[in-house]
Amino acid sequence: MKTLHRSVWIIFGLMVCGAAVAYAQVPDAPAVDFPYTGNRTAVWVVANLHILFAAFILGAPIFAVVAEWLGHKNNDPKYDRLAKEVIKVTVILYSMTALTGGLFLFVLLGTYPDFSTWLIKHFFLVFAVIYPLLFILETVILYTYFYSWDSMKGSLKGRHIALGILLNIVGTVTLFVIDGPTSFMNTPAKAAEGVSLFEFIQTATLWDKMSNFSWMPLNLHRLVGNVTFGGFIAGLIAAYMFMGSKTDEERSYYDWMGFVGNMIGVGALLLLPFMGYLLACELCDYDASICPYMMADQLSMFFEMQGAMIGLIFLASNYYIWLSLKRIEGVENIRMSGFVALAVLVMPAVMGVAWKMFPPPEWQSLIYLAALVFAPMLLGRVPGLKNFTVSAFTMIKIGFLMIVVADAIWMTPHGFVPTQGLATHDLELPEWATELALMPAKNAAAFTLVFLTIVNYIMYNRAIKRGTIIWGKIDFASQFVLIFLAFSAIWTMGLMGTVRSLTRKYYHVYNLVPDFTPEAFTPTLAYSAWWITGVTIVFYAVVSFAILVTLRPGGSKAVVPKGSPVPVEAK
Amino acid sequence: MANQSFMKSVLKKTTIGIIIGVILVVAAQQTHFPQVFQVMFFIYAMLGAFVFILLDAPAMKRLEGIKAVVALLVFYVLLSGLYIAGASILPQFDPGVEAGKIEKVLKMRKAKSQQGKAEELIARTKELDERAKAISKLLRSLGAGAQVEAVATSTSGGAAASGDIVALGKEQWELQECYNCHKLFGSGGKKRGPVMDNIGNLMTPEQLREKLLYPKKWKAEGFDKQYKKGKMPDKYRDLMFDEEIDALVAFLASLKDTSVTTPKPIKMY
Repeated sequence: MKTLHRSVWIIFGLMVCGAAVAYAQVPDAPAVDFPYTGNRTAVWVVANLHILFAAFILGAPIFAVVAEWLGHKNNDPKYDRLAKEVIKVTVILYSMTALTGGLFLFVLLGTYPDFSTWLIKHFFLVFAVIYPLLFILETVILYTYFYSWDSMKGSLKGRHIALGILLNIVGTVTLFVIDGPTSFMNTPAKAAEGVSLFEFIQTATLWDKMSNFSWMPLNLHRLVGNVTFGGFIAGLIAAYMFMGSKTDEERSYYDWMGFVGNMIGVGALLLLPFMGYLLACELCDYDASICPYMMADQLSMFFEMQGAMIGLIFLASNYYIWLSLKRIEGVENIRMSGFVALAVLVMPAVMGVAWKMFPPPEWQSLIYLAALVFAPMLLGRVPGLKNFTVSAFTMIKIGFLMIVVADAIWMTPHGFVPTQGLATHDLELPEWATELALMPAKNAAAFTLVFLTIVNYIMYNRAIKRGTIIWGKIDFASQFVLIFLAFSAIWTMGLMGTVRSLTRKYYHVYNLVPDFTPEAFTPTLAYSAWWITGVTIVFYAVVSFAILVTLRPGGSKAVVPKGSPVPVEAK
Repeated sequence: MANQSFMKSVLKKTTIGIIIGVILVVAAQQTHFPQVFQVMFFIYAMLGAFVFILLDAPAMKRLEGIKAVVALLVFYVLLSGLYIAGASILPQFDPGVEAGKIEKVLKMRKAKSQQGKAEELIARTKELDERAKAISKLLRSLGAGAQVEAVATSTSGGAAASGDIVALGKEQWELQECYNCHKLFGSGGKKRGPVMDNIGNLMTPEQLREKLLYPKKWKAEGFDKQYKKGKMPDKYRDLMFDEEIDALVAFLASLKDTSVTTPKPIKMY
């Protein structure tokens, strides 16, 4: 028996040695070279797609739980149905998020094995423990939240809403956690003077690496962006369903849903320029050379395109208000102080000068801002002056004029050149007009857009309170506006995500881990636009499919009473 | 009837848009805006006209079934085309230029990395192999004098490598993109940093090196705000090799054009 044991051990030992020798002789696997796109573009496309799905599954539950709470508070079943439909689509897209996340990981590991391993080692606890646990927890809560919808009604509704809030807390924490490594790649922790960054990173704690310069600005930017995204996708769902509706009841409901989606989307959109500004400021504070790279060099035309996209989104969202307003009976009686119109007309010029004299964070510019915002309200109450009013339609038309002016200011570059090095007098602003291309002018334009949209919503709110609105009877073109908003918001997200990644220049981790591959240069805007459009279309196709499969236009049962001319106040 | 009135509105607003556009173009010409900006102003005027046409457009008829699907697909194709075209019309840079720059910047880093070392070894082995073959071929066919000449030829050619340190420093100026913040020879810089044309007369090479590695130790006169905000990056001590820093310092020290006013450097600590 002993001999048998010994023989078995000897044979086993020989097998192990043989296997080890054989393994040692296995040559390295060939390097991965993604066909057609190249490795860098492949990672970019998959990452972009994953982030879009992730943004939706994080943004939609925020939207849904707010709607569910409003429904519970106002005892309005429409809100509850809206929330449930959005969550239905979210559940389907949740699996797509996991799938694209896995794909992203495989592609990244295959194409950039050294860098991927380096990053995973630096954030091992995040990637191997915290993030998976949070993802599992979120999955459990999401499915519980969805499948308990019908059973947790009445007295249990409050608990169901609490579950939704918990889902959003876990989702937000997940976002913040994964933003750690992402923002670290842009702005790795800064070493104290006299200490090399390379040495510091080797000994830095996980928290040092997580809480880097751009972490919190990125968290806030993405959080607000996700809510905007959730709102616009709810608008998209409403548009599809409105187009496919067979009855007036359905059209009435989906018209209302489009209105709510757009309102939440636009409401969050108003904060986005400031969040983006905060992120850009932090990037520039981290390393001032990032600023010219973004604004004057290779990325300058990307920002020109961003200006065009933001301008189009603001135009479209206000056009939706216009179309909604046109179907309200009694809107012709709604008037607004003419001083508001005057304030809007002078706002870009006054604020441009104010921010030039007192650039942020100097507070004096706020005096001018407060004067422009509040003076019309006060003057509008002064006897003798309060009769100076304009109609709702005139006010909105003045608003549209100023939106075009603000867009024009936002989009005026210092020079029509792809990089500052190529600038000549024939392509640059004349010396006296260079202020048009500087931040005070851009800030004034952004604030005008935001202010105008708020004014339009205030007026719209007055109109629906005093007039009579017929849900379901909106101009059919409005549905294309909702679709346009969702498409453009997704495209802009892709563009700005590309910009954020490109600010790392030829580094995987800025100033720390160089990208030695031949693809490390900045792609052109035209090339990027093709891929961003491609990713947007793929995402759109999947979301459209999910909507059609889960909600089936024309097939759902009517829940709300038939649409009829009812003053909104009465609802 | 509604269509006729809409067509009238289209004509009226297009005409107004063109008139405003022409006024803007003439005003831009008179105030010395380049042609590209004049075109841009005209486009904005036409965008305004288009927006006001849309505001008064009659309500769209409801689309159902296949018509709605086709309309949606056409809409998506139009949007995609519009965004791609918009991005493609804007000026595009040549990625080849940047790729060349990156190649130069990363060359030394790559050589010092493990991957670079392996690649360098392979390249070196290949080179030595080629040389050995060439030498043996020469030995077989030529005499001893020719053999020495061949070896001498193969080991020469280092002139380019030794290079002119000031020229190498100028290359570093370009590669590190110093021109983005500092004006030199009348170009570059957007008031983020001081003009550098006469810096060689105002700072010694040691002081220049100190400023480059520890930017907070020196401030340029009149650049208090930029100094306070730490505009000059402190990354170069981590990113540049000694040879590169020496070259850049040599280049900066050679800048002695007294005709250009260069802000006075102030020692801070």
